[in-house]
Amino acid sequence: MSAQEHQSFDPVRGERIELSFPATVDLVVVARFTAATMAARAGFGIDDLEDLRLAVDELCISLGPLTGDRTLRLVFERSDDAVDIVASFVTPPEATTIDSLPDHAIWQQGRELSARLLDSLVDEHGGEIRDGQRCTWLRKQRSGTRS
Amino acid sequence: MSEPLAADTDTDTETTATGSENNSDPPRSPEQLVLAHLGLARQAAGHFTNRGEAYDDLVQVASLALVKAAERFDVERGVQFSTFAITCIVGELKRHFRDRAWAVRAPRRLQELYLELGATIDRLSQELGRAPTVPELAKALTVTEGAVLEALEAGRAYRTSSLDEPDEEGQAMVEQLGSTDVEFDHVEDRSVLSMALSQMPPRDRLVLGMRFVEGLTQSEIGARLGLSQMQISRLLASSVERLRSSITEGPPTAEGNVP
Repeated sequence: MSAQEHQSFDPVRGERIELSFPATVDLVVVARFTAATMAARAGFGIDDLEDLRLAVDELCISLGPLTGDRTLRLVFERSDDAVDIVASFVTPPEATTIDSLPDHAIWQQGRELSARLLDSLVDEHGGEIRDGQRCTWLRKQRSGTRS
Repeated sequence: MSEPLAADTDTDTETTATGSENNSDPPRSPEQLVLAHLGLARQAAGHFTNRGEAYDDLVQVASLALVKAAERFDVERGVQFSTFAITCIVGELKRHFRDRAWAVRAPRRLQELYLELGATIDRLSQELGRAPTVPELAKALTVTEGAVLEALEAGRAYRTSSLDEPDEEGQAMVEQLGSTDVEFDHVEDRSVLSMALSQMPPRDRLVLGMRFVEGLTQSEIGARLGLSQMQISRLLASSVERLRSSITEGPPTAEGNVP
């Protein structure tokens, strides 16, 4: 699974939601709620659903600082037994970049932490550059449906 | 609540104004009523444990409600004092959970639904032998699936129950669980996660280790620790915040964490 594969989403079998909002920690609740709604519709048990809610936090945080000077774009896709989420920033030229952060090393530690937590919370996750923008993605399958 | 509270826990002669069996006894003073029914207050408080509040705090709330009940009790109404008092005490305990246990004020209907949701998740988990789904929870609670999801999100504003707080015998839960501590030394991955975990407070270390090192589900952790899945959910969310703060920001702060 990669962010590119989301291009082949089947709208008949699942559903797709796109959200864009100012990248602040306060608004991550919107992403959590959307993910939980999709997980519920995919028949997730409460343990998987709660894991996904935690994973959404990590997905957004690992993308970059949620300092409010950018727009966070999230794409949620639900199939019969899984939820896929891709997060990216819509970055204006003047916005903060990760490489320009004064505590870049510390930020990388935080990102590594997110990666380790996501290892436990979801089935697959990753990060890549798409259309010149860094994006992070995850895939969470309903328990009992993993191949 | 799992079962109704018994109002007649006071073995002394009951106080009524017109009751045929007891009206030979003179009405007691408020002080006497309080002293005679402190056991009832403790019983009511015990009924509300495992919801994230310290037992001693709940006994205090129940006892104050008992005092108010004794002051307001009208012997002319012919109602037993214990019946009147238990209604007052339970009402006060419910108000306590609604009003004081929430870090951020959530709508009353969500607060009440959240408290019901925790018990329903645990009950259905036992009945089904697996974690229930949202539709199953909605059906059991006779609410919409959206309401269940709202209540779950509202739970983030509910105060985390503390494994570090002493129980009614003065022993912190985390001390009782020493044998269940995670063997971090055996973790092959000595990455930032295991390093950071080793520096966390015992409570956070215990729950984070069970979830992210041992790979237990929230329900499994709850069963092992004698807590509800929802308590574990809140503990994990807050512990992850503290873990991140310890790595990226030094000492934990309220700002900058995902709410």
